[in-house]
Amino acid sequence: MAALLELTDVTVRFGGLVAVDGVSLTVSAGEICAVIGPNGAGKTTLFNAVSGNVAINGGRILFQGEEIHGLTPHQISTKGVRRTFQNGGLFPHLTALENVLVGLHARVDSDILGLLLGTSAAKRAESAATARARELLDLMDIGHVADHLASDLSGGQQRILEIVRALATEPPLLLLDEPAVGLAPHMRSQLVAIIRRLASERGIGILLIEHAIELVMSVADRVIVLNYGKKVADAPPAQVRADKAVLEAYLGHA
Amino acid sequence: MADAPKSAAPATKAPPAWRQRRYLFWLIPLLLLPLPFYLGQYKQYVVNLILVYVPVGVGFNIVVGNLGLLAFSNVAFFGIGAYTSGVLALKLGWPWWATILPAGLMGGLVGCIAGVPALRGVRLFYLAIMTLAFGELLRWVYIRWVPVTGGSFGMSVPKASINVFGWPLPTEGDKFYAFLFLAVLMVVLTDRLLRSRFGRAFMAIKGNEQAAAAMGIPTDRYILLAFAWGGFVVGVGGSMYAALVGHVTPIAFDLAELILEFAVVMVGGLGSLVGSVLGAAIITAAPEFFREWPGFQEMLFGVLIVLVILFLPRGVASLLARVHPIFIDRYYRD
Repeated sequence: MAALLELTDVTVRFGGLVAVDGVSLTVSAGEICAVIGPNGAGKTTLFNAVSGNVAINGGRILFQGEEIHGLTPHQISTKGVRRTFQNGGLFPHLTALENVLVGLHARVDSDILGLLLGTSAAKRAESAATARARELLDLMDIGHVADHLASDLSGGQQRILEIVRALATEPPLLLLDEPAVGLAPHMRSQLVAIIRRLASERGIGILLIEHAIELVMSVADRVIVLNYGKKVADAPPAQVRADKAVLEAYLGHA
Repeated sequence: MADAPKSAAPATKAPPAWRQRRYLFWLIPLLLLPLPFYLGQYKQYVVNLILVYVPVGVGFNIVVGNLGLLAFSNVAFFGIGAYTSGVLALKLGWPWWATILPAGLMGGLVGCIAGVPALRGVRLFYLAIMTLAFGELLRWVYIRWVPVTGGSFGMSVPKASINVFGWPLPTEGDKFYAFLFLAVLMVVLTDRLLRSRFGRAFMAIKGNEQAAAAMGIPTDRYILLAFAWGGFVVGVGGSMYAALVGHVTPIAFDLAELILEFAVVMVGGLGSLVGSVLGAAIITAAPEFFREWPGFQEMLFGVLIVLVILFLPRGVASLLARVHPIFIDRYYRD
């Protein structure tokens, strides 16, 4: 099967520092791929390169066979690569519903003139989007907080809301930057269930960064280990777990 | 909650009833209609001035409140609107009503120009000082471009030009109806824009620019749109100002004026459309109430602003929001 996302020799430099050093990897549809590694290994930089927030200095990034490096973040997002942010990328002063509606932005085909004139087509497009956003929240069981401000939600609800928002346009590829950080154990297992379901039922390719090793081992089909910007392992979790060098250097003595 | 969420979608809830009662807002302009029959010329003038500051506050609030950028070029939009109407009426003999749209468009154009630094990533204090300088630059143009603007002394808008489709507006009461129409129009149009994907894009950029872009929002385009729409609305306010005062001078668009306009936004409520309208009413009318204590007028006005900001950081609109949810700004339509 052709890869959904394909990175070839991607390099990112910040001045003299090589943050990502010739990394190649692929993510297929329906595959859950985890990127791990110690702090400063270049995980988030790699993500930012894929989502267009950081320019790459070498290599290529293909999404569905099409070059996406050099495009702006909103263009890459529109092509179907959506992401969440490490420190919560929600809009805190908007409600959960409004957050999802922003996620749907590109799918709401109301034009400015129609809106100003109050045409029924524009109104219909807007209210259809609202109904769709409510439906998406209901699907993930957070419909009851739709009209609450995002900043008022619990940590777990915020994390799920960010995923709902990223998935609103049904993208083929989802990048999750530390989705489980700060979550209580039962919320983590709920998150794992959601991630699995997205991959298996909807065939979404998922690339995730995570520090919680148990979560990575239980959810990922494949684990990529980065160290000092270089890829040092790329294998199924069991194999990575057995790799002595990886264990000692990057996971500690687990 | 540990197991996977059910995939069957429950029936979507009906929107709360109060949201469908927003048409009650139309009662406000309707109740104001008989006002000219009760008010003298001076009080009517003050009411008209409030109506001028409605679009001025609404436009300003779009940029600083909804888009969330510290841009202080509002007085430039206001001035260009007033001068556009003045010049078209005095030099080209246009009737005032025909100058309203050009005044708004010029405001929008100047808004786009003022927004350009923001596209280059200029933010916060840097954007504040650049936009302040831009406003002062325009004021300098008004002063120096004497053949067109009349220089420091400004220009008079011919009384005969102040008409609507040839229907003259000789009294304050007559102007009131034209102004009420324009103020309501600007509020309604802005409300429609804000409660759509466009308004949500502004609010998303305010909340987290990077996340907004990650949601597929071309942030540059929306920043420019917010400036353009803000400039348009304020430009229309400038045109109203020219018709109300009948005289356009550079001194009317100085820093003191900018502070007053900023007070409209802050006292009313940053980012709140209801707040812009309330702020316009309070900031314009309050000095009149303090008239009974001559000499203390400015001081009391200052104290009022300080008290509101101190105890209601989200403005007077936040008080109303506590009274009834209909006053809460929401950026979607059910």
